Amino acid sequence: MATATVSRRNERPLMDRLAGRWIRIYIPILLFILITLFPFYWMTVTSFKSASELFDFNQSPLFVAAPTLEWYKILFFQTNFWHWTVNTTIVAVVSTSISLFCSVLAGYALGRLRFRGADAIGWGIFITYLVPPTLLFLPLAFVIRDLHLFNNLWALILTYPTFLIPFCTWLLIGYFKGIPRELEESALVDGASRWQAMMRIAIPLALPGILSAGMFAFTLSWNEFLYSLIFMNDSLSKTIPVGVTTEFIKGDEFYWGVLMAAALLGSIPVALLYSFFVDYFVAGMTAGAVKG
Amino acid sequence: MSTATRRVSGAGVSRPLHLRLIEREAPMGYILLLPTLLVLGTFLAWPFLFGLWLSVTSAELSDPGHFIGFGNYNFEFKIDHPFWTSFWNTFLYTGVTTVFKFTLGLSMALLLNQIFPLQRFVRAALLLPWIIPTVLSTLAWKWMFDPTFSVVNWVAVHLHLVAAPGPNWFGGTSTAMAALMIVNTWRGMPFYGIAFLAGLQTIPLDLYEAARVDGANRWQQFLHITLPLLRPVLLVVLLLSTILTFADFQVPFVLTNGAPYNSTHVLATWAYQWGVPGGAIGLGASVSLVLFPVLSIIIAGVLVLLRRPE
Amino acid sequence: MADLEDKPYDPEREAWTRRRFLKAAGLVAAGAAAVPILEACGGGGGGGGGALTTGKAPVPRQGASIRLLQWVHFVPAADTEFIRQCTEFGTKYGVTVAVERITADQLIAKTAADVESNSGPDIIQMQYGWPHLYDAACVDVSNEVGILKSKLGAVASVNDAFCKVNGVYKAIPYTIVPNAFTYRTDLLSQAGVTSWPKTWTEFAAAAAKMKAANLQPFAQTDGHAYGDSLTMWNPVLWSHGATEVKADGKTVTINSKETRAAIAWAQNAVKGGFVVHPEWLDPDNNQAYHANRISATLNGASIYIREKVEFHHYDSVSDNGVVPAGPKGLYTMNLIFNHAVMKWSPEKETAKALIMYLMDKTNYLKYTDIAGGYNAGPFAAFDNDPVWTKDPKMKAFHDVVATGKWPGWPATPSKQTAQSQQQYIVADMFAKAIANGDTESAVKEAESRLQAIFSRPG
Repeated sequence: MATATVSRRNERPLMDRLAGRWIRIYIPILLFILITLFPFYWMTVTSFKSASELFDFNQSPLFVAAPTLEWYKILFFQTNFWHWTVNTTIVAVVSTSISLFCSVLAGYALGRLRFRGADAIGWGIFITYLVPPTLLFLPLAFVIRDLHLFNNLWALILTYPTFLIPFCTWLLIGYFKGIPRELEESALVDGASRWQAMMRIAIPLALPGILSAGMFAFTLSWNEFLYSLIFMNDSLSKTIPVGVTTEFIKGDEFYWGVLMAAALLGSIPVALLYSFFVDYFVAGMTAGAVKG
Repeated sequence: MSTATRRVSGAGVSRPLHLRLIEREAPMGYILLLPTLLVLGTFLAWPFLFGLWLSVTSAELSDPGHFIGFGNYNFEFKIDHPFWTSFWNTFLYTGVTTVFKFTLGLSMALLLNQIFPLQRFVRAALLLPWIIPTVLSTLAWKWMFDPTFSVVNWVAVHLHLVAAPGPNWFGGTSTAMAALMIVNTWRGMPFYGIAFLAGLQTIPLDLYEAARVDGANRWQQFLHITLPLLRPVLLVVLLLSTILTFADFQVPFVLTNGAPYNSTHVLATWAYQWGVPGGAIGLGASVSLVLFPVLSIIIAGVLVLLRRPE
Repeated sequence: MADLEDKPYDPEREAWTRRRFLKAAGLVAAGAAAVPILEACGGGGGGGGGALTTGKAPVPRQGASIRLLQWVHFVPAADTEFIRQCTEFGTKYGVTVAVERITADQLIAKTAADVESNSGPDIIQMQYGWPHLYDAACVDVSNEVGILKSKLGAVASVNDAFCKVNGVYKAIPYTIVPNAFTYRTDLLSQAGVTSWPKTWTEFAAAAAKMKAANLQPFAQTDGHAYGDSLTMWNPVLWSHGATEVKADGKTVTINSKETRAAIAWAQNAVKGGFVVHPEWLDPDNNQAYHANRISATLNGASIYIREKVEFHHYDSVSDNGVVPAGPKGLYTMNLIFNHAVMKWSPEKETAKALIMYLMDKTNYLKYTDIAGGYNAGPFAAFDNDPVWTKDPKMKAFHDVVATGKWPGWPATPSKQTAQSQQQYIVADMFAKAIANGDTESAVKEAESRLQAIFSRPG
């Protein structure tokens, strides 16, 4: 990836350039990394500090003198953290699947087919962004109540697609538009039905986009908080974000050690997924931004 | 174009009705859109309309209430002091963080666009704040800003940046709002960064070469090549981010929840406050619905502003 | 009736002994008719108990399964004992009892959601005046309260005000969490404060001495802390003669010279050295005390108990003092909890029986003993609970119970007083006036917020 610096190679002495690189590139990047990653470092360090160390600022709080596993033990054996992890995972997987199903079909329809109302519906799906969960959570509570889904994971599985589908559809419209029409056209000429053309050609070719959309949807679902806070009140039904914020401030005590341990562990599944599929994430974000 | 295909597929062989329906783009289009429309209709459109209705009733928990016209809105706009605080806070919060996220994101993208060792690792690491569940990282920040044991203060004091014991982050309105903005910026900047990076990478290098040959310096290259060509990316990212920040609930709720004395509420948390602990569902709905026209105006504005000099 | 009080609660025995009494009183022939008369006489009355028991005690159904929802106790050992007693009841009567605990400030959201969906736990712990908020969803328990009154004496006035809705008991009194000042005797004597201040004026002077001696300050929250804010600023208000509303529960009276006097006291105290934290939640003053950052704060007994039982840093130099009095008297506020049986419960009698079991004197005394003084019993019989004399330093927590009032006093608890409490209107008023010195606008804002609540649309 050649950059502007290449053109200046013959203009300045080596030491100058090196120093220049440090000032212009390395130091700013180090600063960015420090600020970006410090909270995670702090989470980790806190989760291993014993209670006496946590509340003692006479020594440096940046390091752990005598690490302890007690917070993790409490987290696993005295709280419902494991239940919350299972709940969050189930909700993320199922709602992502539902959303991908809907968005792949919708993306194909809006990105590939021409029919009356396509434009309007496309805009309509985009307009849904103007109606964020913040606006819907109160009336939705009534809907969920009437469906008797309070404390039921289905309350989340059915409502999460409302913010997952618009984004995934929008992403996939871009991907489907990018597939040359000729590929499907030739299949249709050969006697395939449109449905077969879609299933056998368009969708397989859009697989990178579908994967990106899926990664995104999973992350967004894992991140959701407000709907879960309202619909899931029973401790066993909660998802990680809600459980951690509502059950670890026990009256007169902050359980910072447990809180940070839970925050760390609650972040790991998404971080892992992300680390394996980071290229798909970036592709997803940029495809949406650039192609959309 | 598609008439040719239709004729070919329909010629001679008689196909079942449902297959024939799928042949033609219109029915197929609608059928493919059906699942999406069903989900969005039931869990988005219907609640939205229901929310509109709730906001003009006196509905409370376990009391459906009765129609009261603009009573709730009147109460909020004229009588409920913290409403206006949360209204302006939402603008302030969105405005300031957008400026910082934009600037820092762009800087980050420009940096990442260079070659240097461990590039992939750095890029992955810098995206982490955006990936990790917001509520969890906000809790870490809450602990970092703790009134008694803030590590941010400890570091700042030891670096001689501030006098001991350092600012009481959640004790005053301006410091608390600053804390909210810091956390939101920290979290949102990678989104801007990565999108800009992708945009940067699609700009052909010969443009820069040609400009350099013509005598343009780096700043002029940036102004006349980079920025204009980034415009579409800019537009999309700005739109999405503005909407999401305006409606943000998680960061303000977990970090301050209005402290001190309701001065750091945003519309989202104030609506929650009335609707859930307060039990006044109609009132809460009216507060959150204020978001809708405001969002629409802002989005329209951003679209117009950034589309104009094309 | 002595045997009724000393032995563990047994509904079967209860009924039998009552029948004996009726027989002895010559009423057995008309027994069937007498019982309803007795119930009618005994239920719902105020004040003291009589020699007559009222109505039938609830009988648990074998094989029933009930759920109880309550807060996470600030003293973990107390929760363990509570659960143990529930399990004991379950084993004894063949009932499954599940206890769900969530943090106090989540309790209202959960209760609201349950009421909204008309389903949920069989018993919900009602904090403050919630029985008034949700009275339609709560079962009439006048019978059970009557039985308890006859065995345990009068109900504490605050619990009574909260449990009785329009003359009918919708919740059974459960406990009081007294709030008093915990302070560092060593630091106070160093600064020249020889005894715990008896009035707010003395309090302010003592706080100033701490500042002059450059020692850890007196500190309190004036933010949205679920417990510590209400228990501090309401007494400050009341003891200066100010109130939010009149006893009629409609007329807002916050805009008065008494309120201004209370605010003036607060402002002067802060100028002198009393530190207030608008960002502190309930755990923060505990955290600060254990970290040796402050010298006195108002709280439940958890600070002192944890020092004594867990940390052992400052327990020998800590003591507890009663809330100071103001020019218009001594007022205190404590956390009040009661148990309501919900109308959707399919096992109402079993639920009631569980509560009666927990309120049995022997069982309850075990509970307060393990809670170490964090809880006080809500009936007259618990006034000389041995836990108060076990550790003489706990005396202050006993003494603040009798003078306790409730948010919105002197009005009867209602939906409106609950809303005012939840919105921290009183605390906000003090917080703002202290922060920017503008008493007038703080009072005016509190007044308009209160008026809005007491006359909101619909």
